[in-house]
Amino acid sequence: MPSDTTIATQAAPPGPLRAFWRAFRENRGAVVGLAVVVLIVLIAIFASVLAPHDPIEQYRGFTKLPPFWMEGSDLRFILGTDAVGRDMLSRLMYGARVSLFIGIAVMAVSMVMGIALGLTAAFFGGMVDVVIIRVMDLVMAIPSLVLAILIIAIIGPNLTNTIIAVTIVGLPRYVRLVRASALTELTKDYVIAAKVSGVRKWRLMTVTVLPNCLAPLIVQAALGLSDAILEAAGLGFLGLGAQPPTPEWGAMLADTRDLMSSHPWVMAFPGIAILITVLAINLMGDGLRDALDPRLRRS
Amino acid sequence: MFRFLLKRLLLTLPTFFALMFVTFIMIRLVPGDPIEVRRGERGISPERLEELRREMGLDQPVWKQFGDYVWGILHGDFGTSIISKTPILHEFATLFPATLELTISAMIFAVVLGIPAGVIAASRRGGVYDQSLMGLALTGYSMPIFWWGLILILVMSNTLGLTPVSGRVDLIKFYYEPVTGFMLIDSLLSGQKGAFWDAVHHLILPTIVLGTVPLAVIARMTRSSMLEVLEEDYVRTARAKGLSTYRIIGVHALRNALIPVVTVIGLQTGGLLAGAVLTETIFSWPGVGKWLVESIGRRDYPALQGGILLISAMVIFVNLIVDLLYGLINPRIRHAK
Repeated sequence: MPSDTTIATQAAPPGPLRAFWRAFRENRGAVVGLAVVVLIVLIAIFASVLAPHDPIEQYRGFTKLPPFWMEGSDLRFILGTDAVGRDMLSRLMYGARVSLFIGIAVMAVSMVMGIALGLTAAFFGGMVDVVIIRVMDLVMAIPSLVLAILIIAIIGPNLTNTIIAVTIVGLPRYVRLVRASALTELTKDYVIAAKVSGVRKWRLMTVTVLPNCLAPLIVQAALGLSDAILEAAGLGFLGLGAQPPTPEWGAMLADTRDLMSSHPWVMAFPGIAILITVLAINLMGDGLRDALDPRLRRS
Repeated sequence: MFRFLLKRLLLTLPTFFALMFVTFIMIRLVPGDPIEVRRGERGISPERLEELRREMGLDQPVWKQFGDYVWGILHGDFGTSIISKTPILHEFATLFPATLELTISAMIFAVVLGIPAGVIAASRRGGVYDQSLMGLALTGYSMPIFWWGLILILVMSNTLGLTPVSGRVDLIKFYYEPVTGFMLIDSLLSGQKGAFWDAVHHLILPTIVLGTVPLAVIARMTRSSMLEVLEEDYVRTARAKGLSTYRIIGVHALRNALIPVVTVIGLQTGGLLAGAVLTETIFSWPGVGKWLVESIGRRDYPALQGGILLISAMVIFVNLIVDLLYGLINPRIRHAK
């Protein structure tokens, strides 16, 4: 399968990848976003090495310690501790792992299912298409967070189910996108040529058409990743996501309300972590869109 | 126009029917029999169990149960809350105005700030204003709104003491019977001094929190739509005629740039009705979003079932209206196959 795609990439003079990188690099915000995302990914991967403490270990003698620049802080707990004495920095680092894991899992499953369902709808048409599109319309008719809550109510709150709920909620966008771009590609000459020369349906779907639908899909995946992280954090905040003591950023915010006035940092840090992560991914996503979709490219 | 309306209306029917089917199935998938949920810890005799099953129609075949469910909904019977024992429709109707008031207020906030921000950014493309406004918009779009709400409470209410923390009006100082369900209107009607301003104060923070994401989306959309329109020939013609920049942007370009923005506003409103879940939870705003979340905690599945059906119906309704408005503004949509 890769043989003819690689030939195609090397045939074009600057190479699409390099052309893409050139276009992407023009957007300073996108490069910063990418750098931050890489940093967070590294923190998530090496959390167990980087984190000074165990994220769920409760240091009973050191509860509600402030971060290092405030009076009464303890340098062993740089960003302070929460209500039960767990190290904030360590929880944030492991939290990156949880949030990114949720986001990437949702994105991967959505991509695979979106491609499968979207291509099936586009290639088979008729009843298959109608059924797939109708079901997707139905999912879209129910507001996303409400649907996620409904699903969680049925299957119960935990990390895996958060991934399932957030995936179902976001899936229609992927399916419709793949279907729409596949339908556009199907009318083009190169597809007709491939059909005439006797390429079989499976190969036509995966090798001929799919690579040409990837650009908008990649953009959608980037934006879908940040949406998924936000939605999962929202569920966590409502107590319907990852369950304690999992260091999930949304869940970490859930019971900080009573401490808000007296110990504001307990509430501040997880939120900042979510904001920075989502913002960085969105910056990167904007850059991806500008670089991959010349129609929207800013001049 | 009438045919377009009828067609759009007919298209929503299957969606609504499917929605009824989904919510019906859902209550059957929830772990635990509805009766088990109801009987709680103590347990009941087998005779009473049989009686309850008959009462709730659970001894009937499933297809008949679904028929009865649909029949009930068509007659306005969305079931009865297990906890409060009141009809779901009644509960929903009492809470919905609070959500609607918050949604409308948030939308006004987003539109009033978002469109000018987008226009300014587009007309100063690449400049400092453009970059800072769009930076802010992207930040708003990336904001976890439940955290944003907490931060605002911390700063505005707890530290500066400018706004109240929760609820719709100070119930100790003011009491009046709800007339419309909209606190701003009811407080005025009550004639009590200061009630209106109190209600406004309560509305400020939830409005900002709920309005932040649509504000960002509208600003971004307005900007890109304006940029597209500003390259059109008629804008160049207007420039060539010597019209002032203000007039070109404000009249010629903006009017055409607003068409996609209207769609976004509509779509966002539908989303807000439901997105109020988080905002209402943070501010103890007594609307349908908070009620839904609490229903989960109380295992009040009929309330959850009816509530989700009703909220989704509202969202479908809003989207329908947006489609109709869109057809009204843009004849090309109306006449498309």
